[in-house]
Amino acid sequence: MLHINCGRLKVIQTLGEHLKLRQQVIATATVYFKRFYARNSLKCIDPLLLAPTCIFLASKVEEFGVISNSRLITTCQTVIKNKFSYAYTQEFPYRTNHILECEFYLLENLDCCLIVYQPYRPLLQLVQDIGHEEQLLTLAWRIVNDSLRTDVSLLYPPYQIAIGCLQIACVILQKDHKAWFAELNVDIEKIQEIARYIINLFELWKTYDEKKEIQGLLSKMPKPKPAPQR
Amino acid sequence: MSSLMMDYEFKMKTQTERVKVEDLFDYEGCKIGRGTYGHVYKGRPKDGSDTRDYALKQIEGTGLSMSACREIALLRELKHPNVINLIRVFLSHNDRKVWLLFDFAEHDLWHIIKFHRAAKANKKPVMVPKGMVKSLLYQILDGIHYLHSNWVLHRDLKPANILVMGERPERGRVKIADMGFARLFNAPLKPLADLDPVVVTFWYRAPELLLGARHYTKAIDIWAIGCIFAELLTSEPIFHCRQEDIKTSNPYHHDQLDRIFNVMGFPHEKDWEDIKKMPEHPTLLKDFKKSNYVNCSLVRYMDRHKIKPDSKAFHLLQKLLLMDPNKRITSEQAMQDPYFQEDPLPTQDVFAGCPIPYPKREFLTDDDQEEKSDNKRQNQQQQQPQPQQQQGQQQQQQGNQQDNHNPAKRVRMSGPQGHPGQVNQQAIPISQQQDFHQQPIMYNNGSQQQQQNFQQRF
Ligand SMILES: Nc1ncnc2c1ncn2[C@@H]1O[C@H](COP(=O)(O)OP(=O)(O)OP(=O)(O)O)[C@@H](O)[C@H]1O
Ligand SMILES: [Mg+2]
Repeated sequence: MLHINCGRLKVIQTLGEHLKLRQQVIATATVYFKRFYARNSLKCIDPLLLAPTCIFLASKVEEFGVISNSRLITTCQTVIKNKFSYAYTQEFPYRTNHILECEFYLLENLDCCLIVYQPYRPLLQLVQDIGHEEQLLTLAWRIVNDSLRTDVSLLYPPYQIAIGCLQIACVILQKDHKAWFAELNVDIEKIQEIARYIINLFELWKTYDEKKEIQGLLSKMPKPKPAPQR
Repeated sequence: MSSLMMDYEFKMKTQTERVKVEDLFDYEGCKIGRGTYGHVYKGRPKDGSDTRDYALKQIEGTGLSMSACREIALLRELKHPNVINLIRVFLSHNDRKVWLLFDFAEHDLWHIIKFHRAAKANKKPVMVPKGMVKSLLYQILDGIHYLHSNWVLHRDLKPANILVMGERPERGRVKIADMGFARLFNAPLKPLADLDPVVVTFWYRAPELLLGARHYTKAIDIWAIGCIFAELLTSEPIFHCRQEDIKTSNPYHHDQLDRIFNVMGFPHEKDWEDIKKMPEHPTLLKDFKKSNYVNCSLVRYMDRHKIKPDSKAFHLLQKLLLMDPNKRITSEQAMQDPYFQEDPLPTQDVFAGCPIPYPKREFLTDDDQEEKSDNKRQNQQQQQPQPQQQQGQQQQQQGNQQDNHNPAKRVRMSGPQGHPGQVNQQAIPISQQQDFHQQPIMYNNGSQQQQQNFQQRF
């Protein structure tokens, strides 16, 4: 399951990058996407439709502005064709009206809870507190980005995720901030769990040739059932 | 192809579970408000066991506009006795309309002040409890303090957006409404001014906004509260200004500044040191002569309106209406002011149990055609992005404000397409983020999963 999640979420990330969205918008879209499939099976709505819909909604909530529909569709087409042709052999099949309809379903399913709290802001605060270290911030920020591909954002509050990512960054950069971490008034066990989740993802990446395996995975996925033919 | 997008069973199941607004409420012919971005109806539940009234706001246009999105996203998280409660959202799939269900508030400060003005003109006194203005102000501050401590700026405070509950439930309770412009400010992705070039109605706009301030702040809401307080005390909009020809997207507005200086006097540099840094400061120096305002001061203005400069009310007003945003009092400090410790003390029911002298809301008829077409013209195409160069024109339309102090119209725009900017460095303490969700929010049909989600989210 995690594998499929990885591939799907990569669509959101790639779309977001092509649309030049801020990471925060992408992060929010990712959480919508995950929340939807935490409650519904993958066949309820085609993830290929839900992904751009999540981006469309998140950009409004995060006050990035309304993304032009035509630009969104064009980007979907380009991205699917150029970056994900190994997974999707067909052209991107959806149009604006599909996304707008899907948006209402998404809203209903999220029960209109749209504000998502992200680890980025607490991370900035924490790094500032350590004593501003550019390298540390950059790496920890990227780890936060990666953490979006796991389920941690559904399971832990943003400030804990931020601390978890910061810890991993410190380990990688071999920076000793143990004393500083010890001062923090947090549940260390929770932080460890978060770090484990993310490190598992890294381990997975090492051994996982996404391109080769994703076709196989996709074929195993349940597909939405079309309306009965009359 | 499209038949593949959604699972048939899922679609059918969602459709059967979906409740339609027209199935639950009678509201036809009961329109009570027509705003820039919606129509508001008084709704009665069809199920006779619930005899309360509700307000139903149908959002202008179709689909989920940026401002609808904001209002829903924020109100879904907020719960405070002085902030209007969003009970539920209806999404009407057929006509793609969005409906918001609120508690019904019989009164608002625009109607209340209008009533007092008319009474004053006819020399007929209105019988209201002595502490009413104080209670109103206290509850406005309380609601804004809640918003501000949850990192939400209202940005459109004016009398029409301050509602007051009628006989029942919550008799005489202030409800801050209309969050269509509100925004969370702990995570600004781009300077706020870029998104909504023209926000607060000019009469309630803080001087720093008129001088081109790039960022909205708590202090801007506080200025607006000061304006409302003055208006409650005198029944006149303190910075009343004709505004027929607002032609540019420029925030700088000569006549409005002139009006402010005519009441307050021209700001001394020692009173507002950073005024030099305001983008429009050079224009200010070019357009205005200090000597024209030497005889102007808030003391004199309020004295003309029979508010004594040595009263506690005046002292608090002066702190709310400080020109320098950095010196302006915060909502928290204002609530501690001696004014509120002095008799009569503020009451939860602003009418303090006395009979309510104000008329109930009337239903609007549809004959006000010009206003409707006005609305149509102003309304932004919901799902369409607005290319940058169109903005100026759109803002022009917002200039048609009537001098009759009608709840002013303004354009609510969806922002231009942005591009990624700098990470905002103004981080907030984690403890404050944690505070955000202390109260569980009340919302209909909160499923188990939803509840869990709330806790997890933060
Ligand atoms: N909960 C409510 N109970 C009673 N009346 C309400 C309620 N909400 C709104 N109204 C009425 O409808 C009017 C418009 O509502 P609201 O301010 O939310 O919409 P708007 O479109 O943003 O208006 P505007 O742009 O003119 O400020 C209010 O000024 C008020 O008179
Ligand atoms: Mg309003």
